[in-house]
Amino acid sequence: RINLRMDVDQSRYLDAAKDAVKREAFNMQRSLDKGLLMDGLRHATEMLNELRTSILTPKNYYELYMMVTMELTHLNMYMSAEFIKENKIADLYELVQHAGNILPRLYLLITVGVVYIRSEECSRKDILQDLVEMCRGVQHPLRGLFLRNFLLTSTRDVLPDFDTKTAEEGSIDDSINFILLNFSEMNKLWVRMQHQGHTRDRSKREQERLELKLLVGTNLERLSRLEGVTVERYEKQILPAVLKQLVNCKDSIAQEYLMDCIIQVFPDEFHLRTLENTFLDTCCQPQSQVNVRNIIISIIGRLSNFAQADPANIPNEIKLFDIFSIKVTQIIQSRSEMPSEDIIALQSALMKLALNVYPTEVGYVNQVLQNTLIIFQNEESRANGCSGELSKLLRVPIDHYQDILIVLHLSAYPKLLRFLELCTRKELCMYIAEHIIETDTLIYSHDQVDQLLTLVECLVADCAEKPVSNIEDPDDFDCQQALVGRLVHQMTSQVPDQQFLILNTCKKHLVVGGNRRIRFTLPSLIFKAVSLCQTYHEVHEEDDKWEKKVTKILQYITSLLSALIKAEYWELSLRLYLQAALVCDAMGVSNAEAMGYEFISHAFAIYEEEVCDSKAQLMAISLIIATFEKTTNFCEENHEPLRSQCFRASSKLLKKPDQCRAVSLCAHLYWSGKNKEEGGNQLQNSTKVLECLKKAVRISNQCMEPTVQVQLFIELLNKYVYFLGNGCEEVSESVLSQLVGKIKEDLPGLESGDITRQIVNHFGTTLGFLEHHHELLF
Amino acid sequence: SSGINAEYGVLEDEETREKVPVLADEEPKETQHLFYDGESVTGKVNIKLKQEGKKLEHQGIRIEFLGLIEIYYDRGNHYEFVKLDKDLARPGDLSESCSFPFEFLKVVKQYESYSGRNVRLRYFLKVTICRRLVDIIHEKGLVVHQLSSYPETNSPLKMEVGIEDCLHIEFEYNRSKYHLNDVIVGKIYFILVRIKIKHMELSIIKRETTGSGPNTYNENEQISRFEIMDGAPVRGESIPIRLFLSAYDLTPTMKDVNKKFSVRYYLNLVLVDEEDRRYFKQQEITLWRKSPTSLKPENRGVAALENMRT
Repeated sequence: RINLRMDVDQSRYLDAAKDAVKREAFNMQRSLDKGLLMDGLRHATEMLNELRTSILTPKNYYELYMMVTMELTHLNMYMSAEFIKENKIADLYELVQHAGNILPRLYLLITVGVVYIRSEECSRKDILQDLVEMCRGVQHPLRGLFLRNFLLTSTRDVLPDFDTKTAEEGSIDDSINFILLNFSEMNKLWVRMQHQGHTRDRSKREQERLELKLLVGTNLERLSRLEGVTVERYEKQILPAVLKQLVNCKDSIAQEYLMDCIIQVFPDEFHLRTLENTFLDTCCQPQSQVNVRNIIISIIGRLSNFAQADPANIPNEIKLFDIFSIKVTQIIQSRSEMPSEDIIALQSALMKLALNVYPTEVGYVNQVLQNTLIIFQNEESRANGCSGELSKLLRVPIDHYQDILIVLHLSAYPKLLRFLELCTRKELCMYIAEHIIETDTLIYSHDQVDQLLTLVECLVADCAEKPVSNIEDPDDFDCQQALVGRLVHQMTSQVPDQQFLILNTCKKHLVVGGNRRIRFTLPSLIFKAVSLCQTYHEVHEEDDKWEKKVTKILQYITSLLSALIKAEYWELSLRLYLQAALVCDAMGVSNAEAMGYEFISHAFAIYEEEVCDSKAQLMAISLIIATFEKTTNFCEENHEPLRSQCFRASSKLLKKPDQCRAVSLCAHLYWSGKNKEEGGNQLQNSTKVLECLKKAVRISNQCMEPTVQVQLFIELLNKYVYFLGNGCEEVSESVLSQLVGKIKEDLPGLESGDITRQIVNHFGTTLGFLEHHHELLF
Repeated sequence: SSGINAEYGVLEDEETREKVPVLADEEPKETQHLFYDGESVTGKVNIKLKQEGKKLEHQGIRIEFLGLIEIYYDRGNHYEFVKLDKDLARPGDLSESCSFPFEFLKVVKQYESYSGRNVRLRYFLKVTICRRLVDIIHEKGLVVHQLSSYPETNSPLKMEVGIEDCLHIEFEYNRSKYHLNDVIVGKIYFILVRIKIKHMELSIIKRETTGSGPNTYNENEQISRFEIMDGAPVRGESIPIRLFLSAYDLTPTMKDVNKKFSVRYYLNLVLVDEEDRRYFKQQEITLWRKSPTSLKPENRGVAALENMRT
């Protein structure tokens, strides 16, 4: 409510002041039209008296100021027309100084002064100097700022520039001194606002100051527009003076805004020239409280764009990156209170500079990381609470290079990564892994693999430190580890020996991951190893040591599998043993056979000792039988015991239907199974096949559940048909009709339902097949 | 009343001599002819009879040049410091209009004409036609300006003043003696500021002193109010001063004129704080009148600029 009332008061006061200005401006104009100068000046003074107010906010004061100064242009025009020709401008210059109040007096003096300069009756330099000196009389910040702004804008077109020749006209140096003086006086007034009034109004005051900043900055902008301002003048006269003022004023708002202003208004060439010895040195001064972060980022951005526009813009002798790198380090060192996000923001800016301007210099990027690392190493507390920012910094090279192999070259990268909080570090590592997978980057040397796995250490092994947040979500963990598993597949070299080294390196990192991880990671490795065996087999003609190498790989696989066994991942190990056995078999050499036998026997051992659930047992034995059926290179000496073992295990299953199905599967071993002696031919032992099937029928007869029994009969019927179709001629028609008859007999007794319907369908299609192929079969 | 129509004291250079206002703030302005010390006052007295042919009997005709100091509260007490007289005619009759030349050669006019609150110093010509019953008297006023030459010593006025732990300033005026069209140039340097100053002004105070001993009367008059600073300065600020004296109605400084009165001038530097308390320091300055020929008004603005730089 108080604010509202103040607003109302403000606008009421502003309206009254504007009315007064309108009235006096009108009277002034009328007097001037009549040629009554003294009256005109009197009204002008009255009008200007409205600017003496202390009530208005900066915004409203600006509005009033604009109105008044617009009216003053009429006075200026009148004087230019009437006085220059009569040579009386000097008298006028004195006359307006008789005014009793200083503010109207100075506004009038400036107005006349500009006309005086145009009349060329008096030295331009003297008048300019007089005006800028006399303005010292207004020490009230708001009024002074606007007065001096009026001085600056009024003299805009009369400042001496490069093209002046005589002493009367003045020189560019006069203009520079004029503006610099006006600038420093304005800045002092502006800074002084900060220290006036009550402390509780501080934020309001700062807001008001920000509204006024442009007035101060205009001085710098005006300087930059002088054509006579060369890089030498900028370096020797302007920049030192401006920076001196900035440092001395000890005001962070001013320092920050004006530094940025310098960066924005002066050309890049100027910045390049003064960067190292003047500009950045000022930023380094520890006593100044400037928030250098934005300033440095701003100038880096500016020069980086400049260099990108055309690399020739930066002379060879100016090592932009080195300059910034050294100074940024100095600045950070000298400011122990600098927040870590500022430190990282500065380093990010440096990194962008390195990446954009020196795309080939990976060393620069590493240097940025190294510098950051040293800062954190020296003072670890600085790394606290900045994981988010640091993580962003570390993503920059990944996103820029789009190639992790380059990132792996950055020696400081992994060390810096360790300063991240655990969960942020994991996120970043996952980001790296996903990036590799998405871009299908191949990590093709064991050194790189070593580096990469060291880098993502937090994913592949437990960390000593505990995560800050609560326990990790198990789903997230699984996701992470699945990702690592996929990552392994990217570790691929076209050179088999190299690939073997990669596998060994990988193993070193992954086996220590603990039981929770190896479930995801080791299978990938085993499959990589398996595929390497195949690779060696393919190239065996070129490599006479391939057998030895394969043996080594198989040993490698064995050791990985024993890790999984130790971790009691039975089912998984079983499958992998079988997979390994297949590969051994495919190698076709004797020691591979022994290894394969070993693998299958391991699978049996797991089956017998560790698989308890009957469903799982059926599944396991089916898998073993199927795998074994695929092998070709076992000699009969090994093949026979394995066959018998399959049969024995099958007939020992607990449930009758399981027994029946497993036993019927064993029939395949005697038919399409292969051993070395047969040289790749199928065994096709009809007697054994029929024995198996007969046993299966016997077992199904013992089955007490009618539905299941019929189902088994149909399945067995299918088996018979299969073997018959595959050339087992000993399958007699009578066996088939016996089975068909039995099924037909039992079928109507079944309870109707979904299962029964399926059974009927199955039987129907089987009979259909029989009818259709009857001729072929018999 | 007597039926005489007489015209008196026509000065020799009536048409060409400069006329100046007697009192600056009087409307309409009365102007009188201007004389300087040592100048001769010559002319003639024309007596024109209203009725030609009728005789005017007189006991003699006389002209006097008079310089008087009049103190207002002491009516009737006029101090003549100059009195010169000439007989224009012996007693006799005037039968027609006639004119009598007169001449006061190289008259010493040692004081400047002055018209103040309590005292007036004036010069006039007085023509007396002596009659047996009532003399016929006519007066004509003159203005005398007292010129000075450039003072031999004219050092700047410089001083450090202050209130302990509160305000400490140093001020400097470029001279201690100024001519009436001069410019006061100076600066105020703030050494210590612990009060919230609202503004600062420089005023000229005129002090007219009459009488002596226990009967001394002082009359202070503020001639100007000239703001030289707006707002509160901080330590180290230096505020420029430039005050054109020609803007004001001033006289030369007069010290102990004929032991009757003095007119002195003071510069008063006043600082006003936000609670409207006034802090001030007065400094006497000497004003003098410069020969008008050496004044070139059109150069004054520039002259002021040059003063600034030195």
